[in-house]
Amino acid sequence: MLGPFLETLIGGLLTGVLYSLVALGFVLIFKASGVFNFAQGAMVLFAALTLARLTGEIDGREVHLANFVIAAAILGTALAFVGWYAWREYMARGGGPAERNRMAVLAVVGAVIGGAVAWFYGKGSWPLWVALPATAAIMGVLAYAIERLVLRHLVNQEGIILFMATLGIAYFLDGFGQTLWGSDIYKIDLGLPKAPIFLFEDVFPGGLLVEPGDLVAALIAGLLVVVLAIFFQKTRIGRALRAVADDHAAAQSVGIPLNTIWLIVWTVSGFVALAAGVIWGAKLGVQFSISLIALKALPVLILGGFTSVPGAIVGGLIIGAGEKLSEVFLAPILVRQFDLAGGGIENWFAYMLALIFLLFRPQGLFGERIIERV
Amino acid sequence: MKRTRSFNEVLLAVENISLSFGGVKALSDISFDIAKGEIRAIIGPNGAGKSSMLNCINGFYHPQQGAITYKGVRRSQMRPHEAAEQGIARTFQNIALFRGMSTLDNIMTGRNLRMKTGLFWQALHVGPAAREEIEHRRAVEKIIDFLEIQHIRKVPVGQLPYGLQKRVELGRALAAQPELLLLDEPMAGMNIEEKQDMCRFVLDVNDEFGTTICLIEHDMGVVMDISDRVVVLDYGKKIGDGAPDEIKGNQAVIDAYLGVSH
Amino acid sequence: MLYREAGQFKTTYGADQQIFPILQDRLFVLAVIAAAVLVVPLFATQYLYTEILIPFLILSLAAIGLNILVGYCGQVSLGTGGFMAVGAYAAYNLGLRVPELNNLVIVFLFGGLMSAAVGILFGLPSLRIKGFYLAVATLASQFFLDWLFARVKWLTNYTPSGSVAVGETSAFGWKIDTPAERYLFILAFVVVATVVAKNLVRGHIGRSWMAIRDMDIAAEIIGFRPLRTKLSAFAVSSFFIGIAGAMWGFLRLGSWEPLAFDINRSFQILFMVIIGGLGSLLGSFLGAAFIVLTPILLNQMPGWLGVGMSTALISHLEFMVFGAMIIFFLIVEPHGLARLWSIAKEKLRLWPFPH
Repeated sequence: MLGPFLETLIGGLLTGVLYSLVALGFVLIFKASGVFNFAQGAMVLFAALTLARLTGEIDGREVHLANFVIAAAILGTALAFVGWYAWREYMARGGGPAERNRMAVLAVVGAVIGGAVAWFYGKGSWPLWVALPATAAIMGVLAYAIERLVLRHLVNQEGIILFMATLGIAYFLDGFGQTLWGSDIYKIDLGLPKAPIFLFEDVFPGGLLVEPGDLVAALIAGLLVVVLAIFFQKTRIGRALRAVADDHAAAQSVGIPLNTIWLIVWTVSGFVALAAGVIWGAKLGVQFSISLIALKALPVLILGGFTSVPGAIVGGLIIGAGEKLSEVFLAPILVRQFDLAGGGIENWFAYMLALIFLLFRPQGLFGERIIERV
Repeated sequence: MKRTRSFNEVLLAVENISLSFGGVKALSDISFDIAKGEIRAIIGPNGAGKSSMLNCINGFYHPQQGAITYKGVRRSQMRPHEAAEQGIARTFQNIALFRGMSTLDNIMTGRNLRMKTGLFWQALHVGPAAREEIEHRRAVEKIIDFLEIQHIRKVPVGQLPYGLQKRVELGRALAAQPELLLLDEPMAGMNIEEKQDMCRFVLDVNDEFGTTICLIEHDMGVVMDISDRVVVLDYGKKIGDGAPDEIKGNQAVIDAYLGVSH
Repeated sequence: MLYREAGQFKTTYGADQQIFPILQDRLFVLAVIAAAVLVVPLFATQYLYTEILIPFLILSLAAIGLNILVGYCGQVSLGTGGFMAVGAYAAYNLGLRVPELNNLVIVFLFGGLMSAAVGILFGLPSLRIKGFYLAVATLASQFFLDWLFARVKWLTNYTPSGSVAVGETSAFGWKIDTPAERYLFILAFVVVATVVAKNLVRGHIGRSWMAIRDMDIAAEIIGFRPLRTKLSAFAVSSFFIGIAGAMWGFLRLGSWEPLAFDINRSFQILFMVIIGGLGSLLGSFLGAAFIVLTPILLNQMPGWLGVGMSTALISHLEFMVFGAMIIFFLIVEPHGLARLWSIAKEKLRLWPFPH
């Protein structure tokens, strides 16, 4: 009994790591801007689709010309933007005026690069080490566009309005990603070993079965959390981010540029989405349902508290383990007792867990207690 | 205007109230009473715990120690809506109107405790429901006349200037026909004319309806003019209690306002 | 010059509190209803009935229900699909198991009541949690109800595929078969429901919802009981949504699977409310019309333009258009199409003078 239990538990924890990763993206944005970003799941899907399409073979499938053009334009703009930003930083250390000319030059350069990319893209698959930075650049542009085109116009709106706006973004991105990259099911190949590993073979008969991909995913997620923690605690930008999270107006009054901070946060959460997308995609294949699986991150947030990075991690692990254990051990009992047409309780178990938890501790495991004032 | 009135019936008594948030003590060991029919002022520097005191009285905060006796009944923890049902209405320091609704609807919400028709009649909006609506509309129109805000009856309150919003908020509290009216800085941020209007309304309410009023105010001129008795708080402690003239001569109060190192 | 309220004086509070205080508005609404009853059947085709008018009316009713909860009471719900499913399956089971009551009016009302009961149950957390916390909690109801109707065999009468089909549809001896009959029956239901909804939102119950929406703490302090108020909104909202769900199952689909009421349905109705206008009954109709018509137009577009587009591409474009419209309305006009309508009316009142 202990063997299968542990196996389920480990499998659940490893899935939980992925939930944590998606939840982490939510937490970052919520902490810094108070926006509950429902589009995080769509961003994960978009990142995974982009990477899958850039690395994948175009095996004689019909490809729309429009796809090339749009891909070229996005990539070109992305590269131009990155170049422009680097250039600006460089010039800020002693540069002069005439920025407009430089931007024109960069736009041309970007367009040329974009054209080259389109040509290259048409030829076939990209190696991972090219595709990954390119996808990261695209996610950066996407984050910039979201911040610039949507959220900047909704400053000082109520949280619930912002929430619904991100719902709109999610819909748009789902449609946009699939229009751009097609809606076939893709596979992201990270070149990981496929053979399952058996742990503790001398303790349990047959050992504990663990997928190596899951282990790698857990490692990447863990690494990401450490990097983010250092980024938040030690760097100048991290301190500014925390200041903004505490009090927008106060942060602005000491000279922290809010818009830049929000842009950074969105970009970082775009990268987190990319990491989650890569791992999900490698594990389950890239398809539309990723966008919905990311909804699983919501109970994680409720459990962990919307503003807590450790909360997102612990919450993800609890939810991941809880739903796997419930499916394996609770569902068969329910099916027998109530004569159900199959289990599948993991679809709602996490939500119910979170809901019950909410009734007792509305602020989550690590959230701060709210004192209401009038 | 100087008045000396005497009151003997106690409407509400606060006994040894202490309230803290986490480790921060907002109120410590406060006792005072409010007599039926009087205008009672609570004053004190910023952060003295005045608003916390009002929040305790109408059940929004629950003090850790002490008791509040209202109309002779010592009450335990109660929810704000229970306080409202027992005849306590209030206005807020930062205006808390329902911004999406018109002036008329906002004041109508003050009548809500008295509107009884159920879902069924409401759905049909005939018979009892229609009669009730008109009957309460009549009461509300009286308040609108009293506060001289007929012209903004159908304007969404979010579009009104600050002074008028304060007036609408007073109207909403009056619509409940309270026995005890709590006013949290009713004149903050007003110019001199608006203040005079507001003073007139407060005194008229007290005179005409016999409503007991407990108000927080920073304008000492106003407080000394209109209130019968004054409580002074500082750092969550009571440092003075008495008629306006006594308070003016109280050394502790003068120190608190002018700043003396403790 | 025709649209004027000058000269229409109100001498009683009753007259001032009518649904449409302006004479021209009253006439206009009566004309629209009369046209819907008398004129539409003269020329409507089967396609117009089944693909446009019937979905439009049913989804309008669902949007009215959701608007009561989100637009009037400020409680965001992503569980609309689940509540529609409750209405549909409750109606199905009543008609199946108590054949004497197999009357559309009765089973629809029963569906609404069951949905209201479930709505109250899932509205309970709203006392403790607010905003998007509540939105997530309502997702719980959506996924749980999805699962319930897919797995509990009794609810689907042990059909092997899990899909259910309704038998005869009739009300008080009137057999409702043809698209035209269905349309008229639904129209009658929706008109009555709209009047009921309007009465509720303009009375003291509606004011209590709006008070909770605008400032819940102040509402509690002036005497509203938060739990009772929120639950009444959940109940009334789910009641309408449940009826809409039953109609969708019985008169639009005829036979359906749990998938017909999945989370995408919830989003669809929410979008109608946002695009149409939060806190506006008229907006519920406008939003429903927009959401029903947009995909049809998108499907026609390639034909008009002479461009070949795959159906997959069109459905992706649909996603993009809806997403973009949501963002557009939230930024430019949070009160949706309904506000644009009232701005147009305001202009008309002053026309031909600019001010």
